[in-house]
Amino acid sequence: MFTPWEIKQKEMVPPLHMLQMNIGGVFLLLKMLLFNLGTFKMLKNQKKNVYNRPTPTYSIPAYTPEMKHCVSEDKYLRPTLFCDCRAPEVIALAHQLGAYQKTDRDYAEAVFEFAKRKIILEQHPIDDVKSILHRGTGTCLHKITVFIALCRAGGLPARYKFFALTLLDEWAAPALDHAPLLKQWSDAMGYFLLHGAGEVYLDGKWITADVGAEPARQASSWMPITKLGEDGAGLWLFPIPGSTIIRESIPLGLGIPSRILMNHLVPNSVAGLNIGILEQIEKGKKIIADAGGEVAYDSEARKKHKKEMMKNELLKEHANIIFEAE
Amino acid sequence: MTTRDFTTYMKQLNEQLRNYFPSKDVWTPADDAIYKTDDLFRVPLKEAHEMQLKSIKHTFTYQYNNNKIYQNFCKERNFSPSDINTNDDLEKIPLIPATFYKDYPSGRDFATWLGNIFTGQLPKIMIPQKHPTYDEVINAFNKAGMAVAYSSGTSGRHTFIPRDQRTYYTSEYAAAKSVITMVYPLWEPSLYGYLLMPNPKKTNVYAGKVCTIYFDAIQDVKVAIDREITTELIQMTMTNQKGIKSSIVKLATKRQSIKMIDEIIRWLEYQEKTKNKIAIVGAPFILSFVMKKLEKEGRAFNFGERGGVATGGGWKAYEGVRVPVVDFRKQVEKILGIPEKFCVDLYGMVEGNGWLTHCPEGHYLHEPYNYFKGVVLDAENKPMGYGEWGRYAFLDAAAFSYPGFLMSGDQVRRLEHCPVCDRPGPVLEPEIKRAAGAEVRGCAEEVRRMLSADLSQDS
Repeated sequence: MFTPWEIKQKEMVPPLHMLQMNIGGVFLLLKMLLFNLGTFKMLKNQKKNVYNRPTPTYSIPAYTPEMKHCVSEDKYLRPTLFCDCRAPEVIALAHQLGAYQKTDRDYAEAVFEFAKRKIILEQHPIDDVKSILHRGTGTCLHKITVFIALCRAGGLPARYKFFALTLLDEWAAPALDHAPLLKQWSDAMGYFLLHGAGEVYLDGKWITADVGAEPARQASSWMPITKLGEDGAGLWLFPIPGSTIIRESIPLGLGIPSRILMNHLVPNSVAGLNIGILEQIEKGKKIIADAGGEVAYDSEARKKHKKEMMKNELLKEHANIIFEAE
Repeated sequence: MTTRDFTTYMKQLNEQLRNYFPSKDVWTPADDAIYKTDDLFRVPLKEAHEMQLKSIKHTFTYQYNNNKIYQNFCKERNFSPSDINTNDDLEKIPLIPATFYKDYPSGRDFATWLGNIFTGQLPKIMIPQKHPTYDEVINAFNKAGMAVAYSSGTSGRHTFIPRDQRTYYTSEYAAAKSVITMVYPLWEPSLYGYLLMPNPKKTNVYAGKVCTIYFDAIQDVKVAIDREITTELIQMTMTNQKGIKSSIVKLATKRQSIKMIDEIIRWLEYQEKTKNKIAIVGAPFILSFVMKKLEKEGRAFNFGERGGVATGGGWKAYEGVRVPVVDFRKQVEKILGIPEKFCVDLYGMVEGNGWLTHCPEGHYLHEPYNYFKGVVLDAENKPMGYGEWGRYAFLDAAAFSYPGFLMSGDQVRRLEHCPVCDRPGPVLEPEIKRAAGAEVRGCAEEVRRMLSADLSQDS
């Protein structure tokens, strides 16, 4: 349990616009369910989805009390909601990944690769880092939590960045195709409610860690395999302007609603979504193999995505545009 | 009354739309293809391919030489104008992703971004505000003689296209000519029209703006949505924004929408009584709601061959329900008495100036293939042959003020010839889907969002 002081200090209170967006989103879903009889018919006729969770491809090493870990109570280094960076499992894994053995950057990269590759995307109610590590799956928020907990355990300040977003072209639909209700919901909303990335403080600046997408999922849409420091924004996701917030902690109030939604309101749709994600991963693995391995694939995919370079050219001052207020 | 032959019909149209012809000093091979061809959909293939190669190569060369951003894009892909020698080479032209025109910054940077994607000599743009909104930037550009317009996806993220007046006129003319060709011999300047879109003079939404020519093509046009439509309003409705301002806007929209349906019905009553010829143009769902109300009241009209309907995009009537194009036509025949052959749909995008139009015989979407080339791409963005489902891309020789070589977010099946009519060019199957993951979007999607939630409950 957190004290009110901790809740405030650790930035667990969601900002008003995030609350508004989330409450609005839930109401819209309820409205769709209650006022559109076709939705119920659709749900009734929907085939039963059976999702088989993949077994984790890693094992958590044994913890020993002498393992060094960060005990600082400084902002971005201490435990926060769902992110207990002092849990034995986290400390043991941090050591296995090179905490206090590698340079800060090398360790951060090892943690990034672990969270990105080993924790498989699964729509699942929000829960704590220990459960995530034992399960080996979770949403982008779970994956970020793993990244942040491991960074903090290794003494690197880390924080959350949340935003609402739209996903483009070939990215969301293979999964959403298995969950027509959620597809209808996201269509009605016009955006996805919550996504995020981690940020780690390295060499005097905050570095983004977009751990949400496994390499194979990125390959399924011919996206480059993003590395530590590379942003998914502009590539496969587009944050809604004004919706971004930076926080030390996951905000309070996400756990119970996510459990109600996923376990009780639309469990079959969630299972369908998860099946779609696994299919996407399989498709991506094949694309990587066909391209001659991950390095060859990534090099080819990057050639196809030169957008970032163009962005800079697009913002160069134009002689014929005059800003009179300056 | 005798029917005019097709040549006379088109000659009369060209006289009516003379102001939309570009001046000789800016005339290009694309203009030869668009303005000098009587029937864009019946050009013999050999002749059309020659025009296509010449016009697309000319426009590509112009874009390459006058748009630094696009030139760099092509250089990174090792492609230059000298690589185009045959029609097959056209498919190698580097295609800009659909997201490019919607990946824009805000405020001052937005103006710079818009200026930098423009091809050619940008007029002097004066922006008085320190932190201009999107609408303020667009208005500043348009005040300087441009015709910047936008469309958007469900996220409220717009697709902004910096058209100059010349490209805009060509686009409008091509749209009007495409429809009027297909509904031969319906069109005449004395038609009475109803525009089921925002007033072109009060919006920069392209779906509305492109209809300005409608006012010049026929004598009398009524407008369904005669209020100012801004990017802010679109964002409020497209993203279900909450808040007091948004609620007030939605309440006002709801009241106006109900009134709009009644006004359209009164107009139909009057036109039937006076035996006038009519042409209804715009968003199909508005007409759907009109017909739904008429059907509920047990009423119907019988315009017969005195009426025509041309729709554009927006085939969802309300959330989650898609109106099949074929059912819509049957409903038009049943409730308005307008034959299916005079009920056609246009498929176009804010990014393009080629308007794929239903043939009256089979209602397949015909490409204007003498200046516009469609390509269907597979998952890896490689061109596929005819008959395959894939992402639609196009090479548009009429995009002068911005690079119009683009991948869309639409999923289509393209056929070498129409299976029903004898027009020689390629067609798309009538139903267009959004590509996996792409946002729902359409010519009329913004308008549908603004109105349909209210109308579906009330009508």
